[in-house]
Amino acid sequence: MPNGLRIILLLTPGLGLVMTLMIWVLYRAFAQSFGLYNFNGDDLLTLSHWQGMFQNRRYWNALEWSGYIAVVSATLAVAVAYPLVIWLRRPFKGSFLLSALIKAPYFVPGLVAAFLLINVISYHGFVNEFLIWIGVWDQPVRMQNDKNGYAIIGLQVWKQLPLAFLLLSGAVAAIPDNVLHAAQDLGAGTWDRFRKVVLPMTVTAMQASLILIFIGAAGDFTFQAVAGPTRENSLATLMVTYQGASYSDWNGAAVIGVTLMVLSLLGSIVFAALVQIVAKLMERV
Amino acid sequence: MPDLDIRNVEMRFGGFCALSDVSLSVSSGKFITLLGPSGCGKTTLLNIIAGFLHPTQGSVLINGKGVTSLRPENRDTAMCFQSYALFPHLNVHDNVAFGPRQKRVARAETQSRVSTLLSQMGLDLHSTKLPNALSGGQQQRVALARALAVEPGLVLFDEPLSNLDAKLRDQVRSEIRSLQRELGFTAVYVTHDQAEALAMSDEVFLLNGGRIVQSGKPRDIYFKPKTRFVADFIGAANLHSGPINSGAMTTPFGPLSVDSPNLSMSTVCWRPESAALGGPLSGVVSSAAFQGSYLDVFLTKDGETIRLQISGDQHLEVGQTVSFGVPRDRVVIIEDTDTGQANA
Ligand SMILES: Nc1ncnc2c1ncn2[C@@H]1O[C@H](COP(=O)(O)OP(=O)(O)O)[C@@H](O)[C@H]1O
Ligand SMILES: [Mg+2]
Repeated sequence: MPNGLRIILLLTPGLGLVMTLMIWVLYRAFAQSFGLYNFNGDDLLTLSHWQGMFQNRRYWNALEWSGYIAVVSATLAVAVAYPLVIWLRRPFKGSFLLSALIKAPYFVPGLVAAFLLINVISYHGFVNEFLIWIGVWDQPVRMQNDKNGYAIIGLQVWKQLPLAFLLLSGAVAAIPDNVLHAAQDLGAGTWDRFRKVVLPMTVTAMQASLILIFIGAAGDFTFQAVAGPTRENSLATLMVTYQGASYSDWNGAAVIGVTLMVLSLLGSIVFAALVQIVAKLMERV
Repeated sequence: MPDLDIRNVEMRFGGFCALSDVSLSVSSGKFITLLGPSGCGKTTLLNIIAGFLHPTQGSVLINGKGVTSLRPENRDTAMCFQSYALFPHLNVHDNVAFGPRQKRVARAETQSRVSTLLSQMGLDLHSTKLPNALSGGQQQRVALARALAVEPGLVLFDEPLSNLDAKLRDQVRSEIRSLQRELGFTAVYVTHDQAEALAMSDEVFLLNGGRIVQSGKPRDIYFKPKTRFVADFIGAANLHSGPINSGAMTTPFGPLSVDSPNLSMSTVCWRPESAALGGPLSGVVSSAAFQGSYLDVFLTKDGETIRLQISGDQHLEVGQTVSFGVPRDRVVIIEDTDTGQANA
């Protein structure tokens, strides 16, 4: 038996099952977006669901909104994580507690976090009550469901920071002290050491963090539903709306689902490439 | 080229004192060695000179100017690390060019420095390789070229040859020394290998337990050790203790002439190769190993053993009684008589 075939056969029971299920789901969503597996009538291979969606403002708005939230959240989370990681590179008094606190959000369910935030920032929430009590504001300020999505972005960064933190600390910890000393010895100050040594040596971890956070944030339902602006939809909330009781448009929902997957894939590729280019440029200047 | 002055430096890590009261000065263009057993504080002292560590006390002066609070990137030093510390993401050429680029040296000048150094180090053919594609010896030479490319006034070497095999070690050792003569930089060279220290240095500073125990020209350190530790650490040494009467010490092997008339308890030391066959002393051969250029002989008498290195064309049999002598001026009185020398 040829070696390649043997390897495939050996992998089949485990990997095969996973692949089959995954491809089945992907295929099903894809097929449904073209009118197959139709729950509301006869199966009919058609482009009409896509065409319908393309003429729908809400679809484009949701795509744009999800893209915006995902790009900003991923960029911010990584931008916040980098300095923290470098600061906590060497242990000091209290550093263990600090890095535990940074990782803690990973263990808090997103829905709980979103409700906590709402409690804090709502019209009669903690922040408003407190600021009125100490006399900074004389009447409550509306912060909930802000139209720029700051609450969602804040929640995303808070929730996803641990991921970036873990990936980047692994990469930064792998840089030997002596290599950084060597750069310093040859005249590189803090910023030069970062862009010429730390950045190129951790660029893969940064790409991984950005991609994972981007995909997570692009597919967000919870934060959007709880803390998002009422006039906006994310792709996920829009998808549920289509599928839900008022529309029952499974094919339309499938179109949105496939769009979300394409957004994740393209976003990842673009992000990875951009990071590579930016890192190279920063090494040069 | 700069000179270096280290004054009363102390380095504590918590309760542990890695260096205490270290003072030394190196004049411009000299090659000095910090020699000592592993853990005696050599790397710590280099890190203080380079600026990676702040001494808990004392000061470092380069060219008469205090640099104790100057950041490493602003000091005129370049370190050649024990672990090479090459940039793994840069190829050989870019590793060497890192320093000149950082110091905004003109492009053409950088280019010429890099290519000169790479050809001097025999690395021309490897300039586009990444460090992990090189052998240990090649990486070592890249590290050396990288340090020299900034044309530093003061080069700090941290055991740069410790990862090379014996033959390469000799080769790179003489490369370093001739480059130093050619470029004229001041060099502080750290090693735990006494042969290396003796062969390369203008001056040797011997450290033990965070203190300088003796310093001087290689010959003085070798032939005039001040303490039992120095005598033992540098080469092989024969030691005897006892009173000196009328210019001689009584040893199990016979009377040993000493350049001092009378002393109560004292310790003397002489080198195995200072002995010559024929003389007032004698012992029984317990082993004799032919080493090519010399014969390594161990003699015993009354339970004591000494070592002689005599010309390789001599034949001695185990069990044979041999008489020998040691010239008076090669027998040194060493300062400490205590046998439990602290050895951190
Ligand atoms: N950062 C540090 N913290 C605590 N102890 C240290 C530190 N650096 C070095 N030491 C200790 O200082 C002593 C001297 O170390 P080092 O200078 O590396 O020795 P050498 O280079 O002579 O082998 C050693 O006992 C080492 O354990
Ligand atoms: Mg060391």
